[in-house]
Amino acid sequence: MRTIPLTIEDPLKRKKERHQPRTLHDEAGFISRIFFGLILTLFAVLSIAPLIWLALSSFKTTQEFQLNRLGLPATWFFKNYPQAWQIGNMGVLIKNSVFYTTVSTLAVIVLSMAAAFAFAKIKSKATPILYGSFVIGILLTIQSIMVPLFLMANAVNLLDTRLGVLIPYTGLGLPIGVYLCTEYVKGIHDSIIESARIDGAGYFQILAKIIFPMAKPVISTLAILNVLGVWNEFMMINILVSREALKSLPVGIMKFSSALSSDYGKQFAALVIGLLPLLLFYLAFRNKITEGVSAGAVKG
Amino acid sequence: MKTHRTKAEERHAYLLMVLPAVLIYFAVVAFPMIFSLWISVSDYSGGQIFGGSTPVRFAGFSNYVRMWNDRYFWISLKNNVYIVLLSVFGQIPLGFILAYALYRNMIRAKGFFQTVIYLPCVISSVIVGILWQTIFSPYGPVTEIMQYFIPGWQNTMLSNPRTAIVPVLLVMLWYYTGTYFIIFLANLQKIDKEVIEAAKIDGATEWQSLRHVILPALSGVIVTSSILAISGSLKSFDLIFAMTGGNPARRTSVLALYMYDTAFRGAPNYPRANAVSTFMMAFSFLLIIITKLVEKKFGGREE
Repeated sequence: MRTIPLTIEDPLKRKKERHQPRTLHDEAGFISRIFFGLILTLFAVLSIAPLIWLALSSFKTTQEFQLNRLGLPATWFFKNYPQAWQIGNMGVLIKNSVFYTTVSTLAVIVLSMAAAFAFAKIKSKATPILYGSFVIGILLTIQSIMVPLFLMANAVNLLDTRLGVLIPYTGLGLPIGVYLCTEYVKGIHDSIIESARIDGAGYFQILAKIIFPMAKPVISTLAILNVLGVWNEFMMINILVSREALKSLPVGIMKFSSALSSDYGKQFAALVIGLLPLLLFYLAFRNKITEGVSAGAVKG
Repeated sequence: MKTHRTKAEERHAYLLMVLPAVLIYFAVVAFPMIFSLWISVSDYSGGQIFGGSTPVRFAGFSNYVRMWNDRYFWISLKNNVYIVLLSVFGQIPLGFILAYALYRNMIRAKGFFQTVIYLPCVISSVIVGILWQTIFSPYGPVTEIMQYFIPGWQNTMLSNPRTAIVPVLLVMLWYYTGTYFIIFLANLQKIDKEVIEAAKIDGATEWQSLRHVILPALSGVIVTSSILAISGSLKSFDLIFAMTGGNPARRTSVLALYMYDTAFRGAPNYPRANAVSTFMMAFSFLLIIITKLVEKKFGGREE
């Protein structure tokens, strides 16, 4: 709780240096600083407290948890982790999630960029209607395609297959992908493409050698949006897959909600294992991620 | 002047580049959407759709009428309205206040606060749901904390049908505020700081510069966030599925969960499920149009 006094002291000091006379407005600033500082601190504490509580509780036995729900573990008990790992089949779940996320994200990037280049830089009468249909897809509610997808996957024997997950994931990533990439590629100068054409480069060479490297910022935004979306997706994959060996992390971890809900120690360990991969991804790329999320949101 | 040859090459390249994305998109998004509309006005009850032993017939709007007369539809819709209201009048303002405080240097260690406040948003909603289910359960820490203040307090938060939606809403506030915080922070940082300094020098208070300089500059972002919040709120499923499963007595159900239960739990009723999802889509568009109209009415004055 050291942050509160710091909040009050520091900005005032700086402010005094800049404006010599302290006016009424500075007093108002002082009060609003306390007010805003308190809200920030409170919300930050509330954001992280449940997670810290979860991490601490995962080192208690279930018996200890029932007697001591709030405090530090009396003895640190590590066995929850190997047990949860084994019961939950965590290795398989994480591997599957990594597979679905990577493959569908790569597919979305390549397909979106190719379509974007054509939409933005090659004239065609088909562009308005095709591009428009992708943009409308951004507002799709996933529920309205669930039953049809389930019936279609069933009809072509893609239920309970990896391909049956990857195709819908790729298709669902395309609307925002095509939109972001097309708007970005539009901003690249025609002269760059024209001079490459004069030098004898084909369209695919231009796409691979010129457009892709120039579009790195939008590709990283798209990759981040897609990774977060696919990794956390639950509703769709829950109906498309029922075999243990194909489940993703969110689907597999549901096991710890019902069947094992009274075995708290293992539940907590499983939740920690489940949230760790994306947490580490976030901590490693936090600036890129926050940039990507805010860039992806501006689409109204 | 382009030669005939390059024209053909151009068309060829266009086709090859667009086709893979278009094919996949139409197969898994565009076609299913139309298919869903059709199911919603049919009497399809499982089995083969074409050439089955019992042919699928047109059923008019009877599925919509049955949906309309189902009390669980209204319970779900009411909860969805709560969630929309919470996101527009809870998550967005709170996200803005937090972003504004950080932007105006109200506190030290900005990077730390930014990281921590957005952190819940990167956890899978299923994990968030299971975690909070335990936190609010009678065996969880909330009971212990409350009993410290009110001895003998009975925890019925998640088991009382009339109040069970409240903890769900609190979790949503906890979980989604970070997204709006990040969006506002990114857009606040685009505002020219000198404009605010100039307003300050002219004697504007913190509140005045917020009201007359900053909020008008952000009106577009506020509308975009609202649209995001509305369509996101109507889709919400995973968190509630994991946290309450829609219970007790289906009182925390939402439209997505109602649709899921209708289609995939017990005897499947695909036509009604698709009537629900079509309603969700239409309702979402309606709210978005209203938001746009509100923007037009109030947005014009500011510019």
